[in-house]
Amino acid sequence: MILEVDKLRIHYSTRDGVARAVDGASFTVPEGRIVGLVGESGCGKTTAVRAIMGVLAENGRQAGGRVVFKGQAMDEATTRKLRWRDIAYVPQSAMSSLDPVYTVGAQLVEVMTKRGNHSRASARARSVELFDLVGLNERRLADYPHQFSGGMRQRAAIAMALALEPSLLLADEPVTALDVIVQRQILDVLRSLQQRLHLSMVLVTHDISVVAYLCDEVVVMYAGQVVESGPVRDVLARPRHPYTMGLRNAFPDLLSDALELVPIAGSPPDLREPLSGCRFVPRCPFAQPACGIDAAMSGNGDHRSACRRDSEADTLRTAALDPRTWQRSSSFAMS
Amino acid sequence: MAERAEPVASTRSSWSLSPVLRRMVAMPLKDPFAFTGILIYVLFALVALFADQLAPIDPMEILFTKAGKLAANVPPGAEFPLGTTNLGRDIYAQLVYGTRSALAVGLSAAIIVSTVGTIVGLVAGYFGGATDAVLMRIADMALSLPFLPFVIVLTGFLGASTSNIVLAVALLLWPNSARVIRSQVLTLRERAYVEAARVTGASAWRILFVHIAPNILPLSFVYAAIAIGWAIITEASVSFLGFGDSGSVSWGMMLQDAFASQALSRGQYAWFVPPGICIVLIVVAGFFISRGYEEVFMPRLRGR
Amino acid sequence: MRLVLGRFTHNALALLAVTTILFFMFRLMPGTPLAAFINENLNADQQQAMLEQFGLDKPMWQQYFIYLANLLQGEMGLSFFQRRPVMTILLEVLPNSVILTLTSLIIAYIFGVVAGAWLAWKRGTWIERAAVPAVLATRAAPEFWIGMVLLAVLSFNAGWFPSGGASSPGMAYSSNWDRIFSLDYVHHLALPVLTLALYLQGLPLLLMRSNMLEVMHEEFVTMARMKGLSEWRIVIGHAARNALLPVVTAFALGVGLSMGGNVVIETVFSWPGIGRLLVQAVSVHDYPLAQGAFLMIALVLALMNFVADLLYMVLDPRVSHGRKG
Repeated sequence: MILEVDKLRIHYSTRDGVARAVDGASFTVPEGRIVGLVGESGCGKTTAVRAIMGVLAENGRQAGGRVVFKGQAMDEATTRKLRWRDIAYVPQSAMSSLDPVYTVGAQLVEVMTKRGNHSRASARARSVELFDLVGLNERRLADYPHQFSGGMRQRAAIAMALALEPSLLLADEPVTALDVIVQRQILDVLRSLQQRLHLSMVLVTHDISVVAYLCDEVVVMYAGQVVESGPVRDVLARPRHPYTMGLRNAFPDLLSDALELVPIAGSPPDLREPLSGCRFVPRCPFAQPACGIDAAMSGNGDHRSACRRDSEADTLRTAALDPRTWQRSSSFAMS
Repeated sequence: MAERAEPVASTRSSWSLSPVLRRMVAMPLKDPFAFTGILIYVLFALVALFADQLAPIDPMEILFTKAGKLAANVPPGAEFPLGTTNLGRDIYAQLVYGTRSALAVGLSAAIIVSTVGTIVGLVAGYFGGATDAVLMRIADMALSLPFLPFVIVLTGFLGASTSNIVLAVALLLWPNSARVIRSQVLTLRERAYVEAARVTGASAWRILFVHIAPNILPLSFVYAAIAIGWAIITEASVSFLGFGDSGSVSWGMMLQDAFASQALSRGQYAWFVPPGICIVLIVVAGFFISRGYEEVFMPRLRGR
Repeated sequence: MRLVLGRFTHNALALLAVTTILFFMFRLMPGTPLAAFINENLNADQQQAMLEQFGLDKPMWQQYFIYLANLLQGEMGLSFFQRRPVMTILLEVLPNSVILTLTSLIIAYIFGVVAGAWLAWKRGTWIERAAVPAVLATRAAPEFWIGMVLLAVLSFNAGWFPSGGASSPGMAYSSNWDRIFSLDYVHHLALPVLTLALYLQGLPLLLMRSNMLEVMHEEFVTMARMKGLSEWRIVIGHAARNALLPVVTAFALGVGLSMGGNVVIETVFSWPGIGRLLVQAVSVHDYPLAQGAFLMIALVLALMNFVADLLYMVLDPRVSHGRKG
């Protein structure tokens, strides 16, 4: 395991109380694999990743749990040492994460000379190499971020992430802002780089089809907790948690587009309210009184889920394929 | 379609009017800055209202001591809280009565500036096209005039009167508010409820003043608060330079008087420090209020 | 390049509008411009000769074009009182105004930028909570009043600075520049500069502070943090560099604006500059001189607006380097 996240808790103090953005989430990233971290927005995926990078917002703090990188528990000092050299980050919007007043080349050189052991000359040479690697013309190094198109900026951001040859890449919705064709191109760049450089990667996304396209494993998060995890093929073909079943219905399937898209009614719960039991209950078509008690992750082998009705997963899955199931849940939940 | 949209539009307009007003009234209670600002305004308003009671001595009256000598440059004491001028006038009384002219100048300028600015902004933003282009070019022109020199030239030649100062200030200040209100109208114009009102066949003016204007109100208020301060400072500056209304008692005239009669070299701080502090207080109050309102109603506008 | 030309045209047109407004303002004022001069002792012929001398006998529109043509050649006529070309008088005092304005602005902006960035850095502390209203108060104070208080305390009371003027009486200099580079001049300059700087520092300070606060929340600053760059590099190299853009623009605008505002400061300190000249000219109804001084101030304002536009274009690559796609 290159990365282990163990019962991580991240709290934000807000005017209306403490928001438990990440509430005891655990997952692991095996060496050389791509792990998809999936869930609706507001489920704590981005917070978890930012916590690993050590850049929580001012009102956020780690309230519990730990992050272990290559067997070493991360604290502030190790985070500071490791970041970008060992763990790098690909942002959702490369436009806002590149400084508008410097050229892209200058920003590449900056991180290599200030954080790596590069001289200016070797940093420049490596920039050319990196641009080549992500499929950008080296002449564009002298351009400013606003002169790039969306897809090119995303490639530049990937080049930036690879500058110091990290072993783990955290990509936060790296293709969300792009149109479908460019999405595919960027995902292909990521995949080929991951294979050539033997990278490990965490890919944060709300789009389960992106997970299906790129990832080896998947971790499904809901309301700050992990509700299901396992190999992509298992989880997507035979989801065990109703939330995953719902997510799968809500996105076009890359393999068979026969299914009608059915969004899950409602929205993730307010994390400032104290919650107990399964957080999906208010939106779950299969909820029972027993669901008011917390369910631990269980399952055989790699595929695990946190549902009280895990034993009935096959039956529920069949029912979940029927769009009417989800309509019922929404009217039920509203009343 | 029309029958269905009608009630939607009307409920929306009554819905949109009252919360804005309610928030406008409630805001100062939440923001300590704005609260302080309102408090300062209220205080000065009370002083202006009860000037006669607060200062029984006529500010222009030339006073004499019991021995029958001119009571000139009397230091602050029990009889004259801030002392007297070189001509034997009560400084405290001048300070109190100065509040009246300050508020008169400030309020009249604020009313003109925010009324003109709001109407021009609304019209330019809503109708766009040539109307907009012409109005904004005029605004550009007014903004490219050097502020104080223009006021001086105007009052210097038209005659030194308070109304001319207010006129000059209003002529130069309206474009600021007009521009910001215009850009706000541009976004409001595209809102669904305005669209709904348009579909029902409401006239352009009705849409402007019933559906859009109420949402602009906080902005007009912000610019009015700033204009009060600007007008008072300008009046003081112009009076100081000798183009003021010599018949009125204002803080600017007091400062000019003090400066011209060597109060600085005599160290008569009680003469020239208090009027300045009063100006600072009333202008700062405007800043505080506009800050509070901007933060509540248009967080994106901060820093402009 | 088209942008530059566009901004230039815009500012030039604004200046033309100002000169036009000014021309008609002066001509349409109540009373003839020569009212102050023409007295009972002059006979009709002498009056006519005087009108002709100042070109006031021609129709209004003709006067307007003569006025514009003359302006373009730097010809602003004769001062009624001093009987000298307005341009000569203006050029005599212009250096004093420029030196006063630039020195104060540079001090104010260096202080404001550093203090503003520092206050943004200190956000949420009691220092910041106390400093912001204090700075607002300096912005709210009339410039001339700050000058009066400083004059009373530092000059009349403490005796550290002269109470006015630009040089001590009885001093003789071989040239104007000699005078300006003398210690005596700097000594006279100090108090007006201090006053103006105190008044002007609020704008860059508050602007820098709010820009910094905004920029510190930008994603690229968080990104710099993720990259493990040093705090110094993040704050100075990235946040401050971005936050500085509007402040630099404000500086150029400030030159133009404070040239107008200097009117009062120059009066308080009897500083022989354009502003004081304007005040004197207006109070004695010296139309050509007042008009010239006003135009000079308006010209500096328009010029500085243009410089501000240029600076913005040069400093912000989003404007100077077009989109390539």
